[in-house]
Amino acid sequence: MLDLLVIGAGLAGLTAAYTAAKAGLRVCVIAKGMGTTHWSAGTVDVLGYYPNSSAEPVQRPLENVQTLIEAQPEHPYALLGTAQLSDALKAFAVLTGEISLPYAGAANGGENLLLPSPAGAPRPTFLAPLTQRAGDLSHPDPFLIVGFRGLGDFFPELIAANLCELGYDARAAFLPIDLITDRQDFNTVQLATELENRGRRSRLAAELKRLVQPGERIGLPAILGLDDHLAVLADLQAQVSASVFEIPTLPPSVPGIRLHKALCRRLEELGVRVEAGMEVVGFRSGGQARARFGSPQQVEGFVQSPIPNPKSEIRNPKSLLWVASETTARPLKHHAANFLLATGGILGGGFDSDYTGRVWETIFDLPLTTPQKRSEWFRPKFLDPAGHPVYRGGVRVNKQFQPVKADGAPVYENLWAAGGCLAQADPIHERSLEGIAITTSVAAAQQIVGSGWARGGRGSGSLR
Amino acid sequence: MHTISWRSVGPSLDECIKCNICTSYCPVSAVTDLFPGPKYAGPQAQRFREVGQPRSPDHSVDYCSGCRVCNAVCPTGVKIAELNARARAQIVKDEGIPLRNRLLGRNELLGRIGSYVPHLANFGLHNPLSRLLAERVMGIARHAPLPRWSVEGTFGDWVKRTQNQRLRSDKKVVYFHGCATMYYEPFIGKAAVAVLEHNGYEVIVPPQNCCGLPMLSNGEFDAAHDYHNHNVGSLAPYAKEGYPIVGTSTSCTLTLKDEAPELLDMHAGDPHELKMGTWDIFEWLRELHAEGELRTDFEETEMVLPYHAPCQYRAHKVGKPALDVMSLIPGADLRESHARCCGIAGTYGYKVEKYQIAMDVGEELFSFVRAQGSGVEMTVCDSETCRWQLEHGTGLPSRHPIEILAAAYGLYDLGKRQLRVCRETPSRFQVDSLRRKVYQR
Repeated sequence: MLDLLVIGAGLAGLTAAYTAAKAGLRVCVIAKGMGTTHWSAGTVDVLGYYPNSSAEPVQRPLENVQTLIEAQPEHPYALLGTAQLSDALKAFAVLTGEISLPYAGAANGGENLLLPSPAGAPRPTFLAPLTQRAGDLSHPDPFLIVGFRGLGDFFPELIAANLCELGYDARAAFLPIDLITDRQDFNTVQLATELENRGRRSRLAAELKRLVQPGERIGLPAILGLDDHLAVLADLQAQVSASVFEIPTLPPSVPGIRLHKALCRRLEELGVRVEAGMEVVGFRSGGQARARFGSPQQVEGFVQSPIPNPKSEIRNPKSLLWVASETTARPLKHHAANFLLATGGILGGGFDSDYTGRVWETIFDLPLTTPQKRSEWFRPKFLDPAGHPVYRGGVRVNKQFQPVKADGAPVYENLWAAGGCLAQADPIHERSLEGIAITTSVAAAQQIVGSGWARGGRGSGSLR
Repeated sequence: MHTISWRSVGPSLDECIKCNICTSYCPVSAVTDLFPGPKYAGPQAQRFREVGQPRSPDHSVDYCSGCRVCNAVCPTGVKIAELNARARAQIVKDEGIPLRNRLLGRNELLGRIGSYVPHLANFGLHNPLSRLLAERVMGIARHAPLPRWSVEGTFGDWVKRTQNQRLRSDKKVVYFHGCATMYYEPFIGKAAVAVLEHNGYEVIVPPQNCCGLPMLSNGEFDAAHDYHNHNVGSLAPYAKEGYPIVGTSTSCTLTLKDEAPELLDMHAGDPHELKMGTWDIFEWLRELHAEGELRTDFEETEMVLPYHAPCQYRAHKVGKPALDVMSLIPGADLRESHARCCGIAGTYGYKVEKYQIAMDVGEELFSFVRAQGSGVEMTVCDSETCRWQLEHGTGLPSRHPIEILAAAYGLYDLGKRQLRVCRETPSRFQVDSLRRKVYQR
């Protein structure tokens, strides 16, 4: 039997799986689809703005986290404390080194980087992949932002104009798209693959060399190679004799996909399978079965499922025995000693809602702090600095990262939660999305490893 | 004419948030821009496929291979591949079906005809002149890996011939062999029977016909409907009795479970009973093992086995059961392929305009196999057309996991692809005859 089943293949789920597998646990990851990493810029935001109303980005996030923890003792960061948070981020930096996607050294002695967004706005982030580093706005080198005619959603003129507005020296240029592809129809991932071809790269480099002026750094859309991106970047820089950096694009986001792929590869080395296309539709806890869309017939199916040795399995009536994912016929049961919920928030699919304003957690129907009346979701002002209550809502957990009921007792002894589903954070406002995902998942995985529940199962005899 | 129902998939297109994850994973649009990608051909074009629309808005959907990578990676659950399958059927309905696709959809008929005179049929089909002719006249790609008819009789012949030697037991399982096992690769069925009997199960092989998938994927819903009805008639009674119906062809079992009831809108009654009673053979063996009932008296091996899970498993949504079960074989060095698709996608890669696309899609898999080194003697894959494509693309023989399992039980010779006369128990199983014989493409 598995020691840990992770539900969700975003940054939180994969980081938790890595942490637990590295500690020797048998882990499997299942997910409904590919994670939200594919929409992300591939950077690690820890704390970008604090307090939320502040117009100035945070410079030293770890110091501000301390203030945040004191002001918001229920914030996920407060469950960790700064020392554990800092350790988790360091562990992640080490991991990125292991997977040839180095973020290590990106933390400027504890300072946030300021990177240009695809709109040319400054984006405070704590860790960034090597390919984005040279875009840092803290040094004054002039920018040459280069786009490709025909590539949608990337506008060098907009980026350059906004950078100029902020006082930077920036100009824009366009190159024809047929430099890098012969396709009539393309997306960023396909372009990234094209640039792994040396000939294409050299053609691009020759054009860039013609455009660039001494001292300028070149900002390109994030399409500089998929798996082989370090070599692509190094080769381009060498050929152009200028520093080159990537600006993340709208989805599909190549830097996010690189991170996802690299993490999955590392997990495979550790013997962890990551299965997409497996949507959890029900579970069984201590003798009771529940289907997510609980019609009696569905529940019937779950109850019928034979459990080999019920006595030894139901050791604790408050524990989860298995979750079941949807298949084309019968639900597929996934037995494990521990379960980690890393399905994210509203965007990731961890929560759903209906027109009445009811918001629910989609797998275990865990208690949420989210307001259950639509009128209470939002404040009257769209850009209210305090943010909107619906975004702060989520799963309340204890210091061990176990979801808890109103009385503070764990809902299930062997269920844990991490990442975007946690309550009391406003990741978009704070710019803390990946920071929370990484640090809480490392902490939750460590709690699982340390708990008596790990490796407590019935020996072998089951594949899952 | 069969009406194409969008009922069960239509609403799902509203779940699309245009994130493009599907487009970034689509193996077909990665190698050709004749297919713009799942998002465009699926949920986006779907908005223009309203009832009363005179023509389909988007013929590029014909280039969708139906691999379902898009479905698996979609974070919001849009039924993209199903939308595309229906859109193809709509085009067939509007514009008729080319003779070539009609022929490719009738592999059971072809199989039966050829099996009467297999030597002649093999010669007739597998010579450069007739392949060239088939390409020019019919549009069947001349290098595409067509199978050879079994010259030792069909699987059905073998079942009849060996009736008296078959195991009788209270524990019974129904076997769905599919057309490929029936006419081209009877040894797959023999291996399956051997494994099931080794585990104490009596194997029932009821009359059955083509599952109808080749027709469904070519948009011939009417004919597929008849096929499925026949199968429901002969198999559903077993399902109702509680006998599991297992199959070695991942695409046939998928059709019984999902494709047919889903695309043909046969959701209740007997088709549903059949759906719920059908298992991929490894899905079932894994369950058997979870209940502690699978025999694990495997011989040790040192074979390196690159394993490619066929796309149909993605649609079954049961994970990789063959990998799970084969991992019980001591010493087996299984290497899991993460290639998205082998390219052939049923009948897709046989079409002259799509042959090269299929080979380009498959390159991800072929290079994975090459990267496993020269110690690799064979690849492993559950689906027959994928195995033929793998052999075509890598030059290495390819085996069904049930053959590997049968060999690990000591029941089967992986090189000669035949059952061993009696169970031998050498300390290691390997492929002696294969080593001696250089594999010929």
